[in-house]
Amino acid sequence: MEKAGVISGYLDAIEQRLAFDRSLSRHVRQEIEDHLLEAVASDAGGDSAAAERRAVTRFGSPDMIAAQFVAVSVARQTRKTGVAVILVLAATFAAMKARIAWYVMIQWSLADDLKAIGALVGMIDVYAFWLAVIAGTAGCLCAGFGGTPSAIVPSYLRQTRWFLVLSAAAAGALLVSVTADGILTALRLSARWSVAAVVPLVSMACEIACAGILAFHVRAIARRAAAAAG
Amino acid sequence: MLKGHLDMIVLAALSAGPAHGYAVIEEIKRRSGQAFDLPEGTIYPALHRLEQAGLLSSRWVTADSGRKRRVYALTKRGSSALVERRAVWEQFSDAIGGLLGGARPWKKPA
Repeated sequence: MEKAGVISGYLDAIEQRLAFDRSLSRHVRQEIEDHLLEAVASDAGGDSAAAERRAVTRFGSPDMIAAQFVAVSVARQTRKTGVAVILVLAATFAAMKARIAWYVMIQWSLADDLKAIGALVGMIDVYAFWLAVIAGTAGCLCAGFGGTPSAIVPSYLRQTRWFLVLSAAAAGALLVSVTADGILTALRLSARWSVAAVVPLVSMACEIACAGILAFHVRAIARRAAAAAG
Repeated sequence: MLKGHLDMIVLAALSAGPAHGYAVIEEIKRRSGQAFDLPEGTIYPALHRLEQAGLLSSRWVTADSGRKRRVYALTKRGSSALVERRAVWEQFSDAIGGLLGGARPWKKPA
């Protein structure tokens, strides 16, 4: 019974430290379990409980091993989030431009009594979007996307935190921009409803999905940054 | 010092062919004459890191024991990286050898 105890206790400890990334923790557990069981099978000592303790000792402390996997996970998520920032901002921009081009094409303008509020919301939309672009670009430049460090060192942790702050700012600003776009779209649709509304509705759905994707990635990098700091 | 060269060591161990983590460690022990005494677990984050860098690829297979096993292999980029690192290491080793030997100065290759 001790066999299960020593090895599964060790695996639980590693899995718990990598709980922020379920896929990684599951794969790492499988991989390490295979290693430890093979090490026990190859041990010529005879006493299986002692063989397991030796295998676990040779493997290294769970804290140290998990910390190295955290570095791998942070680097991977930083890269993914960086790509997401660029793609999401580009897709949102394309959706906005497509909607505006559609309005021009079918000569769908705002009602006169809504023009003042439309101009104000439009201004918020533009500033918020460009703020998202600036924060997102700064975040990508700050991350640098160099190689994966073998461990979390203070300078890398600082860099990750800056990337997180800037990505979160980009996501927040994009959310404001998408909300403003939603208000503008609602203003137009409230005055006129036809089959032509499909285009603005689809473009809005794209923008909302983009904002959701970015928020999801920012949350993922925040969880990894927290694990790296801990 | 060993830590700084871990990536090269792992790439070299995999130059013989695809292998899972345990076999990589055994290969390192065998080829180094048991000279390296590092925690075995440190190989796994290195394998993941090298895969992330595109120097290794991996696939899951089912071992004879019935357990799921991750097998790593050098990619084209990994093989090139190993050649480069080996050349750098040989230059470094020759230079240090010349310095410590003291007999004749090491000559930098053209």
